[in-house]
Amino acid sequence: MTISLAVSDILVARAKSGDLDALEGLYRAFETPVYNLARRILRNAEDAEDVLQETFLEVVKSIGTYRGDGHLWGWVRQIAASKALMKIRREAVRAADEFDETTAGGAPAAAVGMNLDLERALEHLSDTGRAVVWMHDVEGYTHEEIAEMMGKTVSFSKSQLARSHARLRKLLAAGPEA
Amino acid sequence: MTHCTMDDLLALRDNEGSAWARRHADGCEACRKELEALYQRMAQLKALPPRSPARDRWPEIRTAVLAARRRRNTRWAGWSMAAAAVLAGVMVFRPFAPPSARAGELARARATSAQLEDRLRSSASEGRVLTGRDAAVIAQLEDQIAAIDGQLGTRSVSGVDAQLQLWQQRVNLMNQLVQVRVVRASYVGL
Repeated sequence: MTISLAVSDILVARAKSGDLDALEGLYRAFETPVYNLARRILRNAEDAEDVLQETFLEVVKSIGTYRGDGHLWGWVRQIAASKALMKIRREAVRAADEFDETTAGGAPAAAVGMNLDLERALEHLSDTGRAVVWMHDVEGYTHEEIAEMMGKTVSFSKSQLARSHARLRKLLAAGPEA
Repeated sequence: MTHCTMDDLLALRDNEGSAWARRHADGCEACRKELEALYQRMAQLKALPPRSPARDRWPEIRTAVLAARRRRNTRWAGWSMAAAAVLAGVMVFRPFAPPSARAGELARARATSAQLEDRLRSSASEGRVLTGRDAAVIAQLEDQIAAIDGQLGTRSVSGVDAQLQLWQQRVNLMNQLVQVRVVRASYVGL
């Protein structure tokens, strides 16, 4: 995924002063990467759109506290990832998800054995497993950072990554009628 | 033969693998293939096309932001008006200073004024030297004090607050007069 995430300092300064046009400029710059991150972590498109909206409401509210340390995208991404993970946690509490792809949020029984492309295979992971794979392998978060954001241990993050990759391997390797 | 686990392979991919896992993967065809598949999968994940939202969420965000700003402004305006009303009430009615306290302040102002009068009288007998400019300042201050005395002598100034205000002004002017007449004049007199 290659998206330009460059934002001018002037735009950021205007956004900090509350200029709505500048805030919309930030929204336009980060709309797709934020949605993409949320959509890759979450199973549902509507939930990902909600995360997009919640993220930008938070950006508008807190842009004054952004001190310019590091790239703005890193700051926005942190907010988006937290919102997406919060949604998973809420859903997990609701559905008593035990973070086990074999028992909850995992592949429907009919899908096991199907030859899937990577895109579809990702959707057959548990919510937590998919989030860890995406955040670690694509976004570049460390296990320590993921553990902190999820309120879990580093071992939990590592084991989720290993189990999810084992499952991806199985899903991608299986033949059509296997 | 023990092969690398997925944990071992992921650690190797992230350059965190153990020496044993590294040695094993170097010599084991199956594990080397698994490791290569992991590298490829990570590259494929990164190459997935970005997804875009089906609809534009900005209008809803904008509406929410404007609504929040309106609420905040209304709240601030309410607080400001309430604060201004309270301040005005304090200034006019001085609710925290009971009448007895203000009467005490009035008595203190009168006493201070009398002490300053005594000091001026004693300094007048010492025959100190004044510059022309100081003499003019003294005349001006004495005129202002006389005007206040005139007001204090009328029946229109009957309330404690009004009297207190005038007596405090008188004390202030008397202080200035002492400053010019005693301190400055004695300096010139040296």
